Parts: sequence; structure tokens; C-alpha cells
Amino acid sequence: MKNRLRELRAERGWSQAELADRLEVSRQSVNAIETGKYDPSLPLAFRLARLFTMRIEDIFTEEV
Amino acid sequence: MERESRPPMNCLKMNPAIRRYLFRFLTAMSAYVALLLAVGKYFHRFHPHGPLAYTLAVLPAIAIIASIVTVGLYLAEEKDEFQRNLFIQALLWGLGGVMAVTSVWSMLELFTHIPHFQPIWTYSCFWIFTGISTPFLKRRYR
Repeated sequence: MKNRLRELRAERGWSQAELADRLEVSRQSVNAIETGKYDPSLPLAFRLARLFTMRIEDIFTEEV
Repeated sequence: MERESRPPMNCLKMNPAIRRYLFRFLTAMSAYVALLLAVGKYFHRFHPHGPLAYTLAVLPAIAIIASIVTVGLYLAEEKDEFQRNLFIQALLWGLGGVMAVTSVWSMLELFTHIPHFQPIWTYSCFWIFTGISTPFLKRRYR
């Protein structure tokens, strides 16, 4: 899955560590999601969407 | 990967679930070593028989079972799903590794004259494979 996490994080001036703290996950988790190597579960995707006040499908897009 | 400014020693930051897991696991393993030594000494000195011998012989294994329970507790308590996923993958590599080694060894034992593989090494072997796989798995997600 592709995602706009890095872009959204940069817009807010957050580091990976800051985003990780806000999500209560490790920085490695944020990095793995950003690089598309790990697809988050639905609950984590919802947490991300809530944090960025966006819809999940505005953050994550299916790779075709 | 983007370089992050982070405080030194950040790599040593552990979440509470990992801290609890390490504490419990090390306690269980310390109990295992202590029980193994104590039971070994007791058998050497007093040569127990019957139910007492069986009970004493099983004691170190109870510590091993406790360490397995700590793994289950960690998986239940870890809130970071990515870390949990990494750990599960490492455990699967550990299981795969130990099954591969014991399968090959048992075939060799069956058809050749190599020494018998003592089942007591199975658990250590499992953790060796789990430990070896962990940095490789972490590198994959770097």
C-alpha cells in the first residue's frame, strides 16, 4: 500500500520520533509504515487518520 | 531513509512491555539455571528414587515453561503491533530453525553414527535461531 505519511508528517514539522510518540508506537514502526514495508492494521490506520484529521483512504492508497 | 534528530541512547529506549518481558524472562531463566544446578547437585549427592526423583527432575522444566509463558504475556501486552509482528516473525524463524535442525539430525542419527541429539538442547537451539533472525528481520524494515 502507498501512503502519504511522510508528506503529512513533514507538513506538520514532526519527526518520525514525534509521530511515533503521538501514536504510542516505536519510531521503527513509523519508518516501516512510511517506507511501505509494513501495512498497519485497521485500528492503527484509524489512529493515524484521527491524528491527521483525514480519512484513511486519503492517507493510504492501494497499489495497483 | 530520512535522518532523524534524536537524543543519544534513543536506541536503548524500551517500552514497558519489553521491559516487563525482559525482567520476567531473565527471572525465569535465572530460576532455570539455579534449579538445574541445585537438582543436579541433589541427584549427585542423594541419588533420589521414585516420585521424589520425578518431581525434582521436572523442576527445571517448570522454569522453562514459565519463560514460554512470558513470551505469551509479552505478545498479549505489546501495544506496538509492528514490534509484535517482528517478534512473531523471529519466533517463527526460531521454530523453523529448530525443526529443520532436529529433522536433519534425526535422519543422520537414523542412518549414520553421529552422537544423539539431547532434547534438552532444543529450547536453546530455538532461541539461537530466534536471536539470529532478529537483526536480519529488523534490517528488512530499516
